[in-house]
Amino acid sequence: MLHSILFYVFAVAMLGAAMGVVFSRNPVHSVMFLVLTFFQSALLWILAEAEFLAIVLVLVYVGAVMVLFLFVVMMLDVNIEAAKRGLTRYSFLGIGIALVMAIELVQLIWLRSQGAAGTGGFAPTPEGYSNTEALGAVLYTEHAYAFEIAAVILLLAIVAAITLTMRKRPGIKVQNIAAQVAVRAKDRLRVVKMDAEKKQ
Amino acid sequence: MADLVPQFLVNWVDWGMGIFNSLPAWLQYLTITTWKILFVMIAVILIVAFSTYFERKVIGSMQARVGPNRVGPLGLGQPFADVIKLLIKEVVVPSQSSKFLFVIAPLLSLTPALAAWAVIPLNDWYVIADINAGLLYVLALTSVGVYGVILAGWATNSKYALLGAMRSAAQIVAYEIAMGFALVGVLMAGGSLNLGEIVMAQEGGVSHWFLIPLLPLFVVYWVSGVAETNRAPFDVAEGESEIVAGFHVEYSGVAFAVFFLAEYANMVLISTLTAIFFLGGWASPFEGWTFLNDIPWLAWLTAGGLHWLFTKMCMFMYTFFWFRATFPRYRYDQIMRLGWKIFIPVTIIWIGVEGVMAWFQVGPWSGLGA
Amino acid sequence: MIGLEHYLTLAAMLFVLSIAGIIINRRNLILLLMCVEIMLLAVNFNFIAFSRYLGDETGQVFVFFILTVAAAEAAIGLAILVVLFRNRQSIAVQELNTLKG
Repeated sequence: MLHSILFYVFAVAMLGAAMGVVFSRNPVHSVMFLVLTFFQSALLWILAEAEFLAIVLVLVYVGAVMVLFLFVVMMLDVNIEAAKRGLTRYSFLGIGIALVMAIELVQLIWLRSQGAAGTGGFAPTPEGYSNTEALGAVLYTEHAYAFEIAAVILLLAIVAAITLTMRKRPGIKVQNIAAQVAVRAKDRLRVVKMDAEKKQ
Repeated sequence: MADLVPQFLVNWVDWGMGIFNSLPAWLQYLTITTWKILFVMIAVILIVAFSTYFERKVIGSMQARVGPNRVGPLGLGQPFADVIKLLIKEVVVPSQSSKFLFVIAPLLSLTPALAAWAVIPLNDWYVIADINAGLLYVLALTSVGVYGVILAGWATNSKYALLGAMRSAAQIVAYEIAMGFALVGVLMAGGSLNLGEIVMAQEGGVSHWFLIPLLPLFVVYWVSGVAETNRAPFDVAEGESEIVAGFHVEYSGVAFAVFFLAEYANMVLISTLTAIFFLGGWASPFEGWTFLNDIPWLAWLTAGGLHWLFTKMCMFMYTFFWFRATFPRYRYDQIMRLGWKIFIPVTIIWIGVEGVMAWFQVGPWSGLGA
Repeated sequence: MIGLEHYLTLAAMLFVLSIAGIIINRRNLILLLMCVEIMLLAVNFNFIAFSRYLGDETGQVFVFFILTVAAAEAAIGLAILVVLFRNRQSIAVQELNTLKG
């Protein structure tokens, strides 16, 4: 029963946060609502006993991708006035399409599956089941090729992001830190021995 | 001995246990966990408060002066005086800022620092949440700590605060990656994501601690930890002599107190985590010296426990203060270069070296079968 | 009892909300990228629900890869956005119409 209460609380919080993303005026507030959405979904995944992916979601999405979003939102000068004007033009169409799709999907999931096998809760996991170990056992053996391709995709993303945004501005002076660190005392300082001058 | 305990105390304890045993199982679990959390939180907050005092004393003694010694005996009342002062100060909210974000930013900084204590084993039986993904959980929470910094800089509506916040956030994200890789090395040696099991994998005395086979990873993790908490020599974001206070320049009163608390709580957390991952956690360094058991007043040295974890944590906190008193501040591009171009390649190469070590069963893997 | 249908319904609600967000939003390209992230999250929910229902770990492995690809796509999308802003000084969706025939 606690399970159900927690599920509904997190689900309502998540849907509320998702609506906050779409309907919020201030883009920084939208990003923070998205962070809340990801947090709630991580909690829901923990309820579904997929804790490795839940924590990885927080680590990767909330910890890195959302920080990236925040940086971009804060660095770009977003015009709030133009934002408020654009809201109402397509909102009826958008909400209408959303409602139609929602009704169709809910009907499919609930009404068409009456009497089909497998309603009720998930099967409980066996004793000593570790989600991380189970995932690791499958990921590096059956799906090793896909894993390597995912690594190449990430490399591609790094190279692409740098290629797109890096600009060499001519005429600026940058310090070469490796050269600075590699400097030796004898290159900078020379100790000279002089005889004492006699006072005239 | 038992008849020295007054009868009414025994009656009260029996009555309490009777009520406790009649609760449903989940409520019993909830009560026990709440008490565990309370103890740990009170202990952490006291440690954080006194570490502010000890920092000033230690740095003072390194600079040949006496630290605070006015408030209370030996100046021990200083943290309480600081807290009272911060609580009764006015909280100034800048006029054009977003009030909600301004208020929530310190909380986003403090909550992950305190929430990470849920998985830390203080003892062989005292863990608030003994989960099999403890290491990942700790990593995830340090990632969330970035938001407090960014939102503080943004909500302050001040250009200098925003710059300081962006720099600090970029620094934290860079050193997070190095920390994550170093912890992958620890994970490979410990064989489990559960922090309790990582401590158990290091039992058997100092030679079994991960400090020796994983020494470069220890150095990388420790220095990254110092950089994560924005402490000297990596404190360019709050460089007190340059941009005043960086991202928390407009904060005063309770809001500043929460930031201050969050920084020291992060320091205590990183110290404890380093002790757990590399120095054997609550294990005693004299473990296995069974000949000590014959000498009566030295026998307690071989037993592991909370006091050893506390000692190791205090050692690392002292090192934090020592760094602050000794080293000049790094420049920002030097910090980023260290994080991206030096630490990450070192950790990646070390994971490869560790794989080779595990294959040839050197070090922590020497007891494995084929 | 919380079962498969609850998770699938939740995923459907999220997906539908993100579609509404994409259609309604005319002002901000970043909001578009965020709605795409919500869509990917909804699909992840579906995968995890079915993976637990069928007891097969392949669903969760696929979520792993979706997370990877979504992170890569967010990074590149934001890089394109930054370059666009440098050239056009605007990220309002309705003003990006110079290719209109």
